[in-house]
Amino acid sequence: MQHFHKKNILTGLLILVFVWSLFSVQWRADLFHSGGQSTFLHILLGLIQPDLSTDILQLAIVSSWRTLTYAVAGMSLALIVAFVVGILASGILTKGKTQRTAIVGFFRGLLGFMRAIHELVWAWLFVAAVGLSPFAAVFAIAIPYGGILGRIFADMLNDVPAAPINALKACGSSRWQLLMYGYIPHAAADMLSYTMYRFECAIRSSAIMSFVGLGGLGYQIQLSLEDLKYDEVWTFMFFLLGMVIVVDLWSQQLRKRLVA
Amino acid sequence: MSDKNSFTLKDVSKTFEETQALSSVSLSIEQGEIIALIGPSGAGKTTLLNILSNIIQPDEGKVRIYGKAAAQYSSGRELARKVGLMRQQFDLVGPLPVIHNVLAGKLGEWGLLKSMISFLFPRDKDEAADALERVGLLDKMYDKTSNLSGGEQQRVALARLFLQKPQAILADEPVASLDPARAEDIMSMLVQMVQQEKQTLVASLHSIDLARKYCNRLIALKDGSIYFDLPTAEVTDQQLTGLYQLMESKDGATVAAFS
Ligand SMILES: Nc1ncnc2c1ncn2[C@@H]1O[C@H](COP(=O)(O)OP(=O)(O)O)[C@@H](O)[C@H]1O
Ligand SMILES: [Mg+2]
Repeated sequence: MQHFHKKNILTGLLILVFVWSLFSVQWRADLFHSGGQSTFLHILLGLIQPDLSTDILQLAIVSSWRTLTYAVAGMSLALIVAFVVGILASGILTKGKTQRTAIVGFFRGLLGFMRAIHELVWAWLFVAAVGLSPFAAVFAIAIPYGGILGRIFADMLNDVPAAPINALKACGSSRWQLLMYGYIPHAAADMLSYTMYRFECAIRSSAIMSFVGLGGLGYQIQLSLEDLKYDEVWTFMFFLLGMVIVVDLWSQQLRKRLVA
Repeated sequence: MSDKNSFTLKDVSKTFEETQALSSVSLSIEQGEIIALIGPSGAGKTTLLNILSNIIQPDEGKVRIYGKAAAQYSSGRELARKVGLMRQQFDLVGPLPVIHNVLAGKLGEWGLLKSMISFLFPRDKDEAADALERVGLLDKMYDKTSNLSGGEQQRVALARLFLQKPQAILADEPVASLDPARAEDIMSMLVQMVQQEKQTLVASLHSIDLARKYCNRLIALKDGSIYFDLPTAEVTDQQLTGLYQLMESKDGATVAAFS
């Protein structure tokens, strides 16, 4: 009962903060700068008539490919890191309480650090360190995404129901056997579908990342924006949208097959 | 305390916070006995089975499992050769195919490498197939386990015990969630296996009929103490009525229900 009250008070407070934040924005006519309306019209026009010339289409395909490559390479690396560090951070391989606290604390901390820094910041850091190389983009995606995935993997492993795990223990399973025969089969479907969802996000990140100068869809969008060629901007946007939709459909298929 | 006993308990007590789940329970169980643990819910049956299987430790008293003090079993592997468990349900790995749940009975024997290889190319397949045939599920070998019915899942758990081949089986309400026909099925398979392999069985049961039909000794628990512990043939209906009668009168004094 008391718990319930506390929850209500907290909810009320959060709603108040939200409402207050709405008022703190100045919703006035000058929200659009002067000339903003004609620019807005231009943008709308581009949406209806995107530039579909072969030159631009070719450029869009090449840039999409590059964006996709960064995302795939970054995600693959993130997946490996997340899998290993996530298992360590879940503490299911540890023995005894002190060891568990130490290892779980360390690896959860590491994952926290990795994801506390945004991919764009990582990108700046890596560009500063290794220059405008594809590695900068790949690492900039791999680190924060590894941190996010690893954290979620660890939580999923901790949420595996206890009864089947205890039954495997009673059959004499070691901790590694428990991982292989109990924890991973239980968490695999959720892990995969979350990874696919994050892969979508990685494609968008990869596009944004190229604003830093790493090439790809985002870079092209930036160039076209500077030239005020909104019809080209929209072409690139549609390619980005297409990739995200394809990944979404693919992940739905995968999930269906795993759950069946 | 004879060492040929499967289990020996001496003055075992266990308290959870306020509740005294077991108070001063002593008993010894010989190899090959088929025993039903009966009594109203909350009597301490699960607690007793958990102590016998070394999952929890008593606050007081001595527990010996196959001649060795329970606390001296350092590895789950060593204990798994002596004692196998069966529970109400939900203790199989649902997303895995049936065959892997059956082969899990072998994990205590297998090294890590063998279990890894078996995950991709099942090892000891003949043994698994044989066990599944015995429980009538050979055709479900590669089905996803969670797609099986409750009764079928209990049969998979039985097949797993076939491969584990422990010397004693402790079963906590193994048939509680099944309809009477299925319950009878599973119970007869379990007892048949135990007899063939000359194993010891201790099963907590809700159904007195099943207990009387399949077990040769009944241990009745009530409020954490042994109410009676007799060969099945010697148990009277009066004793059974007393066992399930409400024990506490209004002022909290215990009413003698059995003399
Ligand atoms: N983990 C626990 N924490 C607190 N109380 C418990 C716990 N396990 C059992 N009990 C209590 O101990 C008593 C015996 O429980 P249990 O052994 O589960 O009985 P049974 O299996 O015969 O129904 C009950 O009163 C129950 O509420
Ligand atoms: Mg119980």
